[in-house]
Amino acid sequence: MEVTIRNAPSFANLLVNLDPGDRIVAEADAMASMSSGIEMTTRWNGGVFRAIARRIFGGESIFVNEFKSTQSGHIVITQPFPGDMACLELKGNTMFLQPGAYIASEPQVTLGLGWAGIRSFISGEGLFRMKVSGYGRVWFGAYGAIFTRQVEGEYIVDTGHLVAYEPTIGIRVGMAGGIFASFFGGEGLITRVNGQGKIYMQSRSFEGLAAWTNAHL
Amino acid sequence: MHDVSQEFFGGVFSDKIEGGRAAAKISIHPQGLVAETLEEQRFEIPFGECQLDKGGASGRMIFCRNTDRSVTLFCEERGFPKALESLSMGAFSGQLRTIQHKQRGHEKTFWFWLTVGSVITVIGGVIGYYALIAATQAAVAALPISIDENIGSVAVKSVDLQARLDAGHAATKLVNDIVNELEPHSALKGLNFRVMVVDEPTVNAFALPGGQIVVYTGLIKKAKSAEQLAGVIAHEMAHATLRHGLKGVGQSLGIIAAIQLVTGDVGGLLALSSQLAQESILTSYSRKSETEADLEGARMLHEAGIDPKNMADFFQMLEKLEGDIPNLLAWISTHPQHADRIARIENYQKQIPQKPYRLLELPWEEVQNQLAK
Repeated sequence: MEVTIRNAPSFANLLVNLDPGDRIVAEADAMASMSSGIEMTTRWNGGVFRAIARRIFGGESIFVNEFKSTQSGHIVITQPFPGDMACLELKGNTMFLQPGAYIASEPQVTLGLGWAGIRSFISGEGLFRMKVSGYGRVWFGAYGAIFTRQVEGEYIVDTGHLVAYEPTIGIRVGMAGGIFASFFGGEGLITRVNGQGKIYMQSRSFEGLAAWTNAHL
Repeated sequence: MHDVSQEFFGGVFSDKIEGGRAAAKISIHPQGLVAETLEEQRFEIPFGECQLDKGGASGRMIFCRNTDRSVTLFCEERGFPKALESLSMGAFSGQLRTIQHKQRGHEKTFWFWLTVGSVITVIGGVIGYYALIAATQAAVAALPISIDENIGSVAVKSVDLQARLDAGHAATKLVNDIVNELEPHSALKGLNFRVMVVDEPTVNAFALPGGQIVVYTGLIKKAKSAEQLAGVIAHEMAHATLRHGLKGVGQSLGIIAAIQLVTGDVGGLLALSSQLAQESILTSYSRKSETEADLEGARMLHEAGIDPKNMADFFQMLEKLEGDIPNLLAWISTHPQHADRIARIENYQKQIPQKPYRLLELPWEEVQNQLAK
């Protein structure tokens, strides 16, 4: 199976070339176009209750689609907002994805929902997070461009910009400055990530878009 | 040598690994920690060189770094710290205690600020709620009475007035006379009170915004005297003069807007709880307006020279009747907790200066006889 991320960073989409017997799992409604020989099966996103929990708390779909090819073919997978996509290669390790970031994965990858905690909730990163583990490739998307950073110690990210991180990374909520600067300087709460590992961030945030749109209504 | 190693699942960071990190099996040997990746790369950190740290996304991941920090092993399994402590023959007791202490410090700071934040939010919410009520009342007070009348004329269309008695009927005249006795003492001048008496056995009366008052003959028959009837009518007139209808509408709109503003981008769970909270606020508001109408009604009665105790007596009489014919007592069902209300009226009477009360000179017996036919 050969996967290319096309039209990045603004309108990234995945072109997946499937050989006979290849399978790929994708978020519901992520398919934009595909060859006629590809079979699509829909299944619960990891069991009924987990799927519902994922919908309510993780911002993901209740169902995922599995695309299977009996002959050669291709499929184009996309995301609902403009922005880049990135690929993670899992070799028995785990990664956390922020709600809504997951797009597609190889069938050997396990999709789970992890409790992110009150700290994460307060900093606007959600009460739950998607946990991907196992072996294989995972594709995730972001609003805007994706940039990464190898964290050693502490690093500060504004809320809503964190997309994915390794389990070796801890998240703490903090204020951008003093109380006055934090609330009148427009930064408000920020996320302090600490530990050792890689984090993926997006160059735009949905809160930023919403605030900008509101100001122009 | 006897091998007492124990294995855990974790990972390792090192520049020697392609990509800089890999999942690994971590084993604790008598000499130190050993990590073995799936590609069979082996990393070793002797106990003497190992710097421990705790953190990660779960907050309980143990990191172990060598002196030049070129290799970091990490493990999140629950038994790992304990196994590390016992298998290292106590080499890590000090370090483990220090990181635990540090973490507790972080926890304390976090919970402190969470508590402070929650308290500020609650206080802000309460102040905001009362500010909203004050703002609504001020806004309603500034609106012209014609708006009340418009709402009332729309609302009256949904009332079944088929059995309405004409203006010349003795019962209509009686209620009109009572309204005329009370009107000079109403708090809001300029309201045009209009009386409608409906010939139905329901024990009910209500006032619509703008001053339309509907009284059912069932209520007139149950009342023991013209003064008791005046008590109920004073209460209903107070609803109109205090503009409760308009305030209720304004307040529910205001509360919905405020809740949407605050919780607009939070999930369905929060929306649900805010909805429940909103409903309980609205119910308690309507009770609050009942209490206001009781006190304002009592004041009007007192000013008009009618004993406010008549209002309390009527409640008491209804309370006794309630068990016998619950369906007919619609008035009581929308006016709960009469024991409290009776007590409140009696309490009010203790606070005001005593004055001689009069009896209304109205053809009470005649009306009762006519209705009994």
